[in-house]
Amino acid sequence: MLKLEGISKSYGKSKVKAVNDVNLEVKSGEIFGFLGPNGAGKTTTIKMIVGLLKPDEGKVFVDGVNVWEEPLKSKEKISYVPDNPEIYDRLKGIEYLNFIADMYGIEKDKRKEKIEYYSKLFNIENALWDIISSYSHGMKQKLVLTSALLNDPQLFILDEPMVGLDPKSSFNLKEIMRHMCDQGKTVFFSTHVMEVAEKLCDRIAIINNGRIIALGTMEELRSSAKEKESLENIFLELTEDE
Amino acid sequence: MNKTISLIKTELNITFGLTALKHSFKQKKNRWTVVLISIALLSLIPSYFMLVKGLGGLYDGFRQIGQQSYFLMLGFLVSQMAVLVFGLLYVMSKFYFSNDIVHLVPLPIKPSQIVGSKFASLMVSEYITSLPLILPFVIIYGTKGYMGFSYWLYSFIAVLTLPLVPLVIASILIMAFMKYTNIRGKKDLIRTISAIMFIIFVVYFQLMINRITARGIADGENFLFNLARDANLLVNTFGRMWPPGMWGTFALVNHTSISGLINLVLFIGVGVLGLMLMIYLSERIFFDGLIGNTDQSSSKGKEHNKDSSKSINVNKPYIALAKKELIMLFKTPIYLMNSIGGVIIVPIIMAMSLFTGGEDMAPLRAIISQSKNYVVLGGIGFIAVMGILNSIGVTTFSREGNNFWIQRIIPITPRDQIIGRVLASLAVQLLAAVFIVGSIFFIASISVFDVLLIVLIGIFASIPMTMMGMTIDILRPMRNWTNPQQAMKQNLNVLIGLAVGALYVGGIGYLVYKVISRLSIGIIYGGLIGVLLLTSIVLYMILDKLIFTQFQELE
Ligand SMILES: Nc1ncnc2c1ncn2[C@@H]1O[C@H](COP(=O)(O)OP(=O)(O)OP(=O)(O)O)[C@@H](O)[C@H]1O
Ligand SMILES: [Mg+2]
Repeated sequence: MLKLEGISKSYGKSKVKAVNDVNLEVKSGEIFGFLGPNGAGKTTTIKMIVGLLKPDEGKVFVDGVNVWEEPLKSKEKISYVPDNPEIYDRLKGIEYLNFIADMYGIEKDKRKEKIEYYSKLFNIENALWDIISSYSHGMKQKLVLTSALLNDPQLFILDEPMVGLDPKSSFNLKEIMRHMCDQGKTVFFSTHVMEVAEKLCDRIAIINNGRIIALGTMEELRSSAKEKESLENIFLELTEDE
Repeated sequence: MNKTISLIKTELNITFGLTALKHSFKQKKNRWTVVLISIALLSLIPSYFMLVKGLGGLYDGFRQIGQQSYFLMLGFLVSQMAVLVFGLLYVMSKFYFSNDIVHLVPLPIKPSQIVGSKFASLMVSEYITSLPLILPFVIIYGTKGYMGFSYWLYSFIAVLTLPLVPLVIASILIMAFMKYTNIRGKKDLIRTISAIMFIIFVVYFQLMINRITARGIADGENFLFNLARDANLLVNTFGRMWPPGMWGTFALVNHTSISGLINLVLFIGVGVLGLMLMIYLSERIFFDGLIGNTDQSSSKGKEHNKDSSKSINVNKPYIALAKKELIMLFKTPIYLMNSIGGVIIVPIIMAMSLFTGGEDMAPLRAIISQSKNYVVLGGIGFIAVMGILNSIGVTTFSREGNNFWIQRIIPITPRDQIIGRVLASLAVQLLAAVFIVGSIFFIASISVFDVLLIVLIGIFASIPMTMMGMTIDILRPMRNWTNPQQAMKQNLNVLIGLAVGALYVGGIGYLVYKVISRLSIGIIYGGLIGVLLLTSIVLYMILDKLIFTQFQELE
């Protein structure tokens, strides 16, 4: 479903590669966790997948479509939830959802059903008629989540989705992710919460200094590490500097 | 006390200081405001000189009926009223809406110190209003009446303290208003209302001058005498209701006797006492009226009349984009003022200065009356210029700012991007066309067919103008702004767009001028449409490519 072929990126004129020759393949029906310390290159990688940051080298394929050659085709399959939900704050929530739905050409009935379902699930249905600038950080995030789910994405990409969500909403989000995978969709997300990754993900990649340093299922990661108990220990061991 | 002085210094520096001046110069800040205000002021200057000339005559009129003192009182009344009216607006924006309030409030300073420092800088601002009004009165009275040194000394003091009382009243009124009314959360509304009030004031002033001049022509020799007689009555009535004006007047009129001194002391003393009262009150009520940083009201938990099937509507991507653009334009005050306010005000001011501008405008009026074709072509050109001056196309990508990522992840074609954004600009241009045609009605008579020509070709010409702006903006969008003001007022793209647009319209205008006597007007319109169409197609092709690549390349 998602395939990264040797992508690299350095910002501006800097010689340091924020992401360095990353190769990954995520299959349909998988929940894939992307871990790494601050500044490791998670957000950079994700931006290269969703079309926000052009790789210096390498290719990105979504369902066989080259993201950077046929952007429209790939964007129709993807939904992206950024780490920082900056959205049109002069619109009302409902206006924003309508706007996004128009962009994906979603029919009226389906649109209505999805908006009602997800806004209720995330408990923002009463705020939809308010202007977005009156939303709290978490409410904005939930609105972005709702908008990202409207088009039934084949590939759902989230950058630190649990940050700022209340317990119930993050529980619901995890349920949604599981449900999507059951339907054969793919979820790719970055996180700093080890338990979430451990419990939720089919496979995990750990990135450090722009390079993938570990990749596989929990079992595979365990077998390759000295510290075996928890993902947290494995993570700390692997990302320790020398 | 030290704190207050330091606050005042900072406040003055922020408002008038060299640093701020340099900064706003470098930042190309407030370009639109500067353009508008200078047009407004330029249109007022001839009227102002006429007014001052007329005042000399008015003085003579008052002297004929032996009431020179009322001439001075008129001056005090007019100036202090103007200070009061502007004071209300200034106080509202300085005390409650200025950006530094959020930083000042948490500091260990008293409300009275904040209010005091802001009041000081307002006093200075108010001189800009009061001096042009009171000085002609005082100078005319002084020179025509051959007054001595003490008159000028008293005038100097009185003129300096003149804004004190009205400004104190304005401050108290606004502070009470903010405390006791629930307009918190309607900041945008208040801003818009203030701006509209200012425009109405300018328009009203113009009309008043027109009426007086018209009467002057009708009444001939007796005009000034009649005017003085009417004004005398007016001053008499209002003067009683506004003692400070009376004190100021009698201080100057009786400057040689003890009564003058008493009146002067009253004039200043009441102002100072009022100031102290205001500062005292501010300690109690200033903070209560402060509006929080977030200025939007939300209706938490309130039940909505939310029939979701009504609010869910399906649109084509370009329509949805145009709608989103328009909502953002209308709901962001800065954009509303600049883009939409601009296309309304500029035509009105242009028409009014043409209409009332005196002899300077005579040649232009001659051209207008000479040929209707010039009027129609001029109207089209005017709409076209507004197409770039409205800044919608030239800031369309910049305005996305932090939200730019949304445009880049949604599956929207460059074609829909172009159509949607052009449509948003055309919607505003339609408004421009209405006001431009309306203004033309003021200065020339045109037929329905001419109106159609102006509107249709003008709107059509707005397409390449908008696309020109979009081309500039997509090449160098200004995306990392924190305040929408930066996206529109401090955006160099607007200036570049203005230059390019002016060249384009000027170039076509020059061509038309060259051939207008040789070709039939039908051919000229045809050619014009052809050129506009060609430009649009070329720009469309460029934009189609540019949007695709820039959406990928930008970081
Ligand atoms: N806009 C930028 N300009 C320059 N360098 C950047 C920019 N964004 C990120 N970087 C650099 O790229 C590297 C990777 O950053 P990235 O944002 O991908 O990290 P991350 O793994 O998402 O970290 P975090 O867990 O803190 O979100 C860092 O070294 C960072 O300094
Ligand atoms: Mg990140």
